[in-house]
Amino acid sequence: MSKKHIFPILLAICAALYPVLSDDRYIMNILIMILLYATIASGWNILGGYGGQLSLGHALFFGLGAYTSTLLYLNFGLSPWVGMIIAVIVCIIAGMLIGIPTFKLRGPYFTLGTIAFAEVIRHVTLYWRDLTNGSMGLNIKYEPSFAAMIFKEYEYYYWLILGLLVLTTLLVHWIDRNKMGYYLKAIREDEDAAETLGINTSKYKMLAMMISTGITGLAGVFYAQFNLFFEPESVFHMNISTEIALIAIIGGAGTVYGPILGAFIIIPLNEILRASFPDIHGMNYFVYGILLIVIVILTPNGLLPIITKWWDKIFRKKVSKTKGVTKYDLESQ
Amino acid sequence: MMILQTLISGILLGGIYALISMGLNMILGVVRIINFAHGEFLMIAMYLSYIFYAWGGMDPYVSAIFIVIILFVLGLITQKGLIEPILDKPASTKIFATLGLSIVLQNLALMIFDANYLSVTTPYQSSVVNLLGIAISVPRLVSFGVVIAIVILLYLFLQKTMVGRAIRAVSMQRQAAYLVGVNVKRIYLLAFGIGTALVGLAGSMLMPIYSVYPTLGASFVLIAFVVVVLGGMGNMFGAFYGGLMIGVIESLAGVIFSPGLKEVIYFIIFILVLLIKPTGIFSKGKGSEAVGL
Amino acid sequence: MILKVNNVSKHFQGVKAVNGTSFHVEEKEIVGVIGPNGAGKTTLFNLISGSLPVTSGTIEFKGETITNQKAYILCKKGIGRTYQVVKPFGTISVLENVMVGAFNKHNSRDQAAKISKEILKQVGLYEKRDQIGNSLTLADKKRLEVAKALATQPALLLLDEVMAGLNPSEVKEILPLILQLRDEGITIVIIEHLMEVVMTICDRIVVVHHGEKIAEGTPKEIANHPEVIKAYLGDEVSYA
Ligand SMILES: Nc1ncnc2c1ncn2[C@@H]1O[C@H](COP(=O)(O)OP(=O)(O)OP(=O)(O)O)[C@@H](O)[C@H]1O
Ligand SMILES: [Mg+2]
Repeated sequence: MSKKHIFPILLAICAALYPVLSDDRYIMNILIMILLYATIASGWNILGGYGGQLSLGHALFFGLGAYTSTLLYLNFGLSPWVGMIIAVIVCIIAGMLIGIPTFKLRGPYFTLGTIAFAEVIRHVTLYWRDLTNGSMGLNIKYEPSFAAMIFKEYEYYYWLILGLLVLTTLLVHWIDRNKMGYYLKAIREDEDAAETLGINTSKYKMLAMMISTGITGLAGVFYAQFNLFFEPESVFHMNISTEIALIAIIGGAGTVYGPILGAFIIIPLNEILRASFPDIHGMNYFVYGILLIVIVILTPNGLLPIITKWWDKIFRKKVSKTKGVTKYDLESQ
Repeated sequence: MMILQTLISGILLGGIYALISMGLNMILGVVRIINFAHGEFLMIAMYLSYIFYAWGGMDPYVSAIFIVIILFVLGLITQKGLIEPILDKPASTKIFATLGLSIVLQNLALMIFDANYLSVTTPYQSSVVNLLGIAISVPRLVSFGVVIAIVILLYLFLQKTMVGRAIRAVSMQRQAAYLVGVNVKRIYLLAFGIGTALVGLAGSMLMPIYSVYPTLGASFVLIAFVVVVLGGMGNMFGAFYGGLMIGVIESLAGVIFSPGLKEVIYFIIFILVLLIKPTGIFSKGKGSEAVGL
Repeated sequence: MILKVNNVSKHFQGVKAVNGTSFHVEEKEIVGVIGPNGAGKTTLFNLISGSLPVTSGTIEFKGETITNQKAYILCKKGIGRTYQVVKPFGTISVLENVMVGAFNKHNSRDQAAKISKEILKQVGLYEKRDQIGNSLTLADKKRLEVAKALATQPALLLLDEVMAGLNPSEVKEILPLILQLRDEGITIVIIEHLMEVVMTICDRIVVVHHGEKIAEGTPKEIANHPEVIKAYLGDEVSYA
């Protein structure tokens, strides 16, 4: 274990200890949302950040996860712990099925394709009332028990989602350090060149899709259990897809910790803006939109690379042993 | 008769979709950017139309002239101020810049007008002409006539004028166009302006038929995405046919299946087209895979 | 015989970019492919490396028919190539660029890094290993192309104008590298416009014009071949 890992590990330990120190429900609620979005954005990051396939349809898998486990629970009494596994499998299969046509598309057209799929599912869910209860949404009865994955104490939700985030981060870290990470980045930069270097680009894109959608589905199950109520608009809406991608991009797409940083910025930002302008309808999102534009333009590669650079400057003195433009210099321009 | 009636109203509705989508496609094909704020420009045009009507007593068809000009200028400002600086930034920056713009505009409208539905009342609003037993709404017929006129004008502009040819050249081969001395940046500017002017006109045509509200753009922009894919990316006239097609599908689906399913049906068609012919059904050229962001 | 191209054609909507070309390459040979601009040389490479499907004809590699196999499969089988229009992975470091290639034969990251560093030293990019791909000069990007292809450990290496844009002293640096690669057992097919380069390092030369092979032979034979002289002079291109 190298020095580099100490910081994130310490951070994770502190995070795990947090509920012992404070039981402010409001803060805890926000923290849970941050960790939830950090998890989904990390999942998105594998496909969108590393693989460069900018999906704006990930809400589909978030909702699919939520609906799968909840419908299994409501109709067959299946424990969400089992439902979670099934939801992940369903999302992985859905990811594959969607990947087959959409991976034929490149650039903006891939993005449009993913939006279309998510919209289809949103509308089908709204329409198919017998199964999904349509726009009324699904309600899980509040009967706390471990088997039902419903907890009275927020701490348990907190630890659960923290655990999911840690596992996801470990997975992304592994990808980042191994062949797959290199291959995905190569595909992101130039698919033809990647192919001639021996990369089965279809296979790796599909793999990234499957991992990414699996994680997103898992997060969807958590969301259902935490909220105990959801409807098509609250899980399938395009705004969720864009929020997921945005968090990863603002933090630093294609980096291990970028999406986590992004979640710690965007979710509280939303919260602060909402609290700051309670009177004028729309003011908070108006400011949010402006900030979004400014941040995305000023830091096209996200904030993490810039922070890393500062960190290196302060603590390591030398950014790089070699002369010329380094990776970080360009990323921060 | 019922089907024929539906068909006709579908085609008329499709004309408006066509107008919106041609604007989107112009921007997509030339500037190579998905303008997620395109629907918001439609919304702005409709609010403007409402203002002209409510404050100046001006009929939407009359104020259309001003609105087209205003929207053209808004397009120029957007291209100059937002898009041009990020042309060589990563794809994600472009996507989120226009998405951000759409959020800003939507909520600006919410702040000014609140979430109410606003509409205008015109004398011809519910007039109908009878053609061989088929009732046709007058404002829809008018809007369709305008669409046809615009399609013809646009065709002549793109085929016959120097500027029009330059626009086509940039959309097909921007590197080559640049090398033969086309001022690519100015063409982008113009294309964006034309794109928003078209959607401005669509807004004016919609006002006598629809109500306007802050999130109106969101549903229309999704339809426009579908139309653009159907018609072929960057293919202006494909977008025209695609628009008509979606209009017809939407109307037929409403009658044959259920109005709640119409979106499902056209999104499924969208996906099928992506699967079978990603370049769009009406396109002969390169299309989707060939055009990077 | 490591490579055999049999009567291969590639047509693009009427343009006969490659038209019934046949040639072969022996193991450890350096074969030059020359011809005027638009002769179809790059297209030929695209067909051999699997980047484009052929219109007709067959290609054999190490005795096996490989026509129209996917590029990544051919890379695994031992065909490496560079792109004339360079394709660096722009936002990742030079070292990472090369490591992508090295993963073709090695799964371990450390192993891939080790091999990549050696290759970077060989092509003279070691000092720039932490720079990102886009920040390199054109000459260095060409070197990077070679390094990436080499990292896949090919048996057959297709070099497409890797010296175009290099100044004479840079060309002098890269020539020994090519000869050294041959000594290491790599067979090389090289497209090059610089005649003196082709004449000095190639064992054999294939001349293409309008998609067709018009001559083949040793550098000496080619230099005096009437068809070749006509092709070049006829196109009013001054290469020699
Ligand atoms: N993907 C393609 N689609 C259509 N035409 C193509 C394509 N690739 C090449 N061509 C055409 O095929 C012909 C041969 O091109 P190629 O690039 O193989 O020539 P070349 O010998 O490599 O030329 P140069 O010396 O300039 O590199 C040219 O006329 C070119 O325009
Ligand atoms: Mg060439």
